[in-house]
Amino acid sequence: MGKAKIKLDKNLFEKVKKYAQMSGYSSPEEFVSHCLEKEIAKLEESDSEDEIKKKLKGLGYIS
Amino acid sequence: MFSMVSGTKATQTKVLVLGFDGMDPRLLQTWMNEGKLPAFQRLIGQGDFRRLQTSIPPQSPVAWANFVTGMDPGGHGIFDFMHRDPETYIPIFSASTATPPKTTLKIGDIVLPLRGGEVKNLIQGKTFWQIMDEYDIPATIFKMPSNYPPVATKSRTLSGMGTPDLKGTYGIFNFYTTHPQEINQDIGGGRVHQVYVIGNRVEAKLPGPTNTFRKENPEATLDFTVYIDPVNSLAKVSFQGQEFILKEKEWSGWKRVRFNLIPTQSVSGICMFYLKEVRPDFRLYVTPINIDPADPALPISTPGRYAQELDKKFGPFFTKGLPADTSALDQDFLDEGEFLEQDEMIFQEGERMFDYEFSRFDSGLLFYYVSSTDQRQHMFWRLFDEQHPNYDPLLASRYGKTIENIYIEADRFLDRIVQKIDRDTLLLVMSDHGFNPYRRSFNLNTWLFDNGYHKLRNPWKQEEGSLFENTDWSRSRAYGSGLNGLYINQRGREREGIVNAGVDSDNLVRELAQKLEQVVDPKTGERVILRAFVAKDVYRGPQIGHAPDIVLGFNWGYRISNASPLGRFPKDILEDNTKKWSGDHMGAPEVIPGILVTNRKIRAESPALYDLTATILNAFGIERPKDMIGENIF
Repeated sequence: MGKAKIKLDKNLFEKVKKYAQMSGYSSPEEFVSHCLEKEIAKLEESDSEDEIKKKLKGLGYIS
Repeated sequence: MFSMVSGTKATQTKVLVLGFDGMDPRLLQTWMNEGKLPAFQRLIGQGDFRRLQTSIPPQSPVAWANFVTGMDPGGHGIFDFMHRDPETYIPIFSASTATPPKTTLKIGDIVLPLRGGEVKNLIQGKTFWQIMDEYDIPATIFKMPSNYPPVATKSRTLSGMGTPDLKGTYGIFNFYTTHPQEINQDIGGGRVHQVYVIGNRVEAKLPGPTNTFRKENPEATLDFTVYIDPVNSLAKVSFQGQEFILKEKEWSGWKRVRFNLIPTQSVSGICMFYLKEVRPDFRLYVTPINIDPADPALPISTPGRYAQELDKKFGPFFTKGLPADTSALDQDFLDEGEFLEQDEMIFQEGERMFDYEFSRFDSGLLFYYVSSTDQRQHMFWRLFDEQHPNYDPLLASRYGKTIENIYIEADRFLDRIVQKIDRDTLLLVMSDHGFNPYRRSFNLNTWLFDNGYHKLRNPWKQEEGSLFENTDWSRSRAYGSGLNGLYINQRGREREGIVNAGVDSDNLVRELAQKLEQVVDPKTGERVILRAFVAKDVYRGPQIGHAPDIVLGFNWGYRISNASPLGRFPKDILEDNTKKWSGDHMGAPEVIPGILVTNRKIRAESPALYDLTATILNAFGIERPKDMIGENIF
């Protein structure tokens, strides 16, 4: 799989390094990837929840 | 030119099936005893009456699927309004699925679909009219639930419950208001728009379908203007070259709206406007945008031109599956009287269409469906049941007889049919389930959490989030999903399953079923769940692997909560239901059987929905297919 670079503010990167080490991640990259995956999963879930709620509410069974 | 229906081979046999959704045998008997339902009484005198065994669970899509396929959910695969994806634990809709196009062409910000993309009915097995097709027997199937998109057939069919609105949902109304307290509410089934009256004029937008032709899929919209009469309680609505005047408290009748997607593509819908208030606040309600039968954006009939034929004959008509706007009533955007005006339009429109089909019914089968019996019991039980938490004596004095009145209307409708029907026609009047009050809500997932079967990563955040986002699947053994279902978190089936299939899973299922049947409501002293059905024990057929492991059959007055099917964990296991949605049918099947009234003597002591399928085929001399489980009732 190809890799892409993203830029982070220096102060933020220092924090990322510190907390990645504290939390037992093997690298700052791994920590950032994990955080992003979690956030994206949340967003994807909230989309589908919205869809489910809309449909159920349209049916009337859940208000 | 009118569409030809299959079955050019004329048959002497005629079967007329009248489906009154949710008609309850106890209420029918009560009002017959009081002499209020003379047509039912006369018909039963000549023929017969039975309580009709409903499905497990008695939810409409499941029950009607039992009827149309002659199988139980183990055969037709519809176990609930919602199933769940074992990969994600997220609820998915059981009845139909839409897949986007596989190939698209992008030109600037325009995305053109080239290949693939379809809406699919997920019901398994053949419907009885598909089997009749094979024998060239004609059928007309009017708004059969669980038939969206309509299954492929030579028969004339119009899709029923499950048919979406133009936005692809089960109904999103629009409400335009200047009243500050109504704006920006988080409401279900509708959208509230803030508008301003500037110089007696209101400018607004009607949201339409997602525009899949554009990058980012924006929502298509239609601009409209309302001109308010400075003196009288009147307004003129204007859009796309159409203008019409509404008095306060007046419905517009059907209006066609067209959403332009790209220069060469547009989509047509139909909706009604209702001017609720002119001043001091301006309030305008617009029904969910129904698929236009004259130019359907999605498949709603077979043959495709049947919907157009009906439109030519009657003009636009309700195409959304369950058209009465229960959400608008539940959330006070329509009041009881306004909701009933709308539902009366639905009932009368359907009656006119029935008369048309009945007038040309000379061979084969005619099925006709009535939704109002179901919808009015859902919304008005609270005004007929003094023990309901939302009982309001003042409203009850006005609307307490709403349910009785729809049974009386059904009786009047039946009377007209019985007077016209010839002696050789077999008449089956049936419902998919009965009804009971919905007074108390059961939070199944909270019960599982409190009893150690479900674990949360952060238990102190129990009431936050939804769709199991706080669940620790590595320690959770079971979860509730759908309106009646409970699943084991099974290794090899669920993404993060931990319970071994086989003995471990079976033992856990039995343990949970036993415990659930013992849950008692401290407020009433009543059992909450009468029957916790083990799927393996009650279903037959190849789809059983997709069933929930346990199906809850609630006691009289109880139902699943609003929160549990959305993967939420409210603090209390049981709560009062204070909503207007106050009658329901998620009970154990013996609590809420349907009705069966016929013009012939019934031999079967305790007929079930799937027996009617075998009975219909038998009436036409067709042998029951092997995968059907019912028997002829006569």
